[in-house]
Amino acid sequence: MARFFDWLFRRQLELPVPVTDRAIELPWTQHWYHIPKRTAGWDFREEDYQAARINARIVAKDTLGADAWNQVRRTGYIDVPSRRFPGLSYRLRVGRRIEVRTRPGVDSPWPFPYLCINPVYPLPEEEFFAHLYLYARDFEDEIIRVGAPQPWDQRLGRTF
Amino acid sequence: MSRLIIANRRGHQVLEWDTALDTEETREAIAEAERIINDARQRGCAVSRKVEGQHVLDKGRFDPEAEEYQIIAPIAGG
Repeated sequence: MARFFDWLFRRQLELPVPVTDRAIELPWTQHWYHIPKRTAGWDFREEDYQAARINARIVAKDTLGADAWNQVRRTGYIDVPSRRFPGLSYRLRVGRRIEVRTRPGVDSPWPFPYLCINPVYPLPEEEFFAHLYLYARDFEDEIIRVGAPQPWDQRLGRTF
Repeated sequence: MSRLIIANRRGHQVLEWDTALDTEETREAIAEAERIINDARQRGCAVSRKVEGQHVLDKGRFDPEAEEYQIIAPIAGG
């Protein structure tokens, strides 16, 4: 409870513990349903969010590779062509739903142009963006299996 | 030097080992990396491996000589 009030009133603001000095967190071993949308938990402070986002960007850039990462930074998205549906591509944007795009004359298999896909545990937006890129490129069947078609664009709920 | 990147709310955390060093510490790190990867896969995570400088999703057996592995979060719709 004391930690909650420290977090609420920003008391005892010390620098976050470096990630390398912490025990490794294995998020798939925990339940995250109680965590509010777009947050990482009650014990996370603003400094922790900043450190996590900086940390995430390093891996996201390395995972995508320099060319793809620079394109995302420049244009705000990257298009991954489908291998299952000719003429269709997935437009990935950091922290947002996937936009399904089709060439003229090509029908989408989904009734709506956006697919809502979240990680099952909280992650920084750029870290999850890199994960989504790998799924779309290397394991499209999983995108097809879990994607929830939506009529509008929106920020993801499980990233921050 | 090899490493396993574990993506989590901290951004990521890393477990490293060097197969050129035949020490107890190295053996423990390799065993821990394999345990983490197997456990993550059983719970729905994907795993990527860096191949020729590029990360690709990988379903192969754990290879301690790999340059880099990364645990990829399971995904869900909605």
